[in-house]
Amino acid sequence: MSAIWSVYILPCVCAFLACVGFTLVFNIHGVGKLICGVGGALGWLIYLLAGSTIFAAFLASAAIGVFSEAMARLRRCPVTGYLLVALLPLVPGGGIYYAMRYCVSGDTQNFLDTLLHTFGMAAALAVGAMMTSSLFRAAYPHLFRPKSPRNPPGKGR
Amino acid sequence: MDYDKLLNIAVELGCRLMSSGAEIYRVEESARRFLQAYGLRSPEVFAIPNCVIVSITTPEGHPITRMRRIASHGTDIELLEQCNALCRRLCFDTPPVEEAQAMLSALTRTPKYAPWKVLMGYGMAPAFFSPLFGGSISDSVSALIGGLAVGACLLYGGRLIGYNHFFRTTICSAVAALASLLLVHMGLGQNIDTVTISVLMVLVPGVALTNSMREIMASDIISGLIRAADSILTGAAIAIGTAVGLFISQMF
Repeated sequence: MSAIWSVYILPCVCAFLACVGFTLVFNIHGVGKLICGVGGALGWLIYLLAGSTIFAAFLASAAIGVFSEAMARLRRCPVTGYLLVALLPLVPGGGIYYAMRYCVSGDTQNFLDTLLHTFGMAAALAVGAMMTSSLFRAAYPHLFRPKSPRNPPGKGR
Repeated sequence: MDYDKLLNIAVELGCRLMSSGAEIYRVEESARRFLQAYGLRSPEVFAIPNCVIVSITTPEGHPITRMRRIASHGTDIELLEQCNALCRRLCFDTPPVEEAQAMLSALTRTPKYAPWKVLMGYGMAPAFFSPLFGGSISDSVSALIGGLAVGACLLYGGRLIGYNHFFRTTICSAVAALASLLLVHMGLGQNIDTVTISVLMVLVPGVALTNSMREIMASDIISGLIRAADSILTGAAIAIGTAVGLFISQMF
């Protein structure tokens, strides 16, 4: 039980809070903060469960893509903000740093390895989130038929 | 109808959307839909990340074009959401042009976080990233301090280090590397790699990377390539800055 707590739950809570920190930087208010945090935690949970590989990053970003699109539809808001913030924990900052360390110390083999791995992570993130986004957008009209043919105007604000 | 004013509103709307960090297709589609809602046949809108061009032809057959250049900008999701809602409302209600202009001008008063709250965000994010990279509580505290240092550089160092994005990222990552080295040497942090990476996460080009793929998926290839180049350059700036930071620390 304590293993589950320290391996899965605590990191997800941290990812949630880190994403909430980023919402302050990107000027996101209200419920949006919560959505971004939950998206980040969800992505990190799937990344951990799938084994922290490049493919895991792909799965995680796919999940984030679906979650953000669904939330954006629910709130009638642009999806941009939710997607940007929720993907941030997965962006390979460590990869850039280690690649630089190897490059400076002249360890070409490790440098190239790390660099390619970093590019792989970035590509997996981008492709995962965007593919599911596009699929969701294509499937959405068939899954839930809109009640009126024309979009009602944005409420309130 | 006053088509000059209408064109001005459309360009202004596109400009606001772009400077709040919207994707190209959103900018183009919003301006086009807005103009179509006011009865124009085939308005043409073209946008790349720092320029919006809108061209319309009045019913008398007189073509008018306006171009607006957009300075480099950050991301402001609140402004983006409000612009989007306003565009929807304008397209649906089509109020008189003067009223639409007034509604657009009112958008400048969007709520913003106080600078100290943004600074807290810059500190909070690295502090909670460090456990994700295997850091302990003391690493979190050092990452918090490092993040605050980088955030202060980004928020208040504008005049000192200039507004060039590449140079600013380089300086900030050098500050990040130096701050984490200093904190670890003072005995607060334990693992120097973890602390540095956590602090660097606030500079990492996640936004540019995500946006570039969104543009390419929406088949705005030019803008996608521009943003992809931006994210690679930012990554290079982070690497150079951190290397400089490590180099300086080795001299002592």
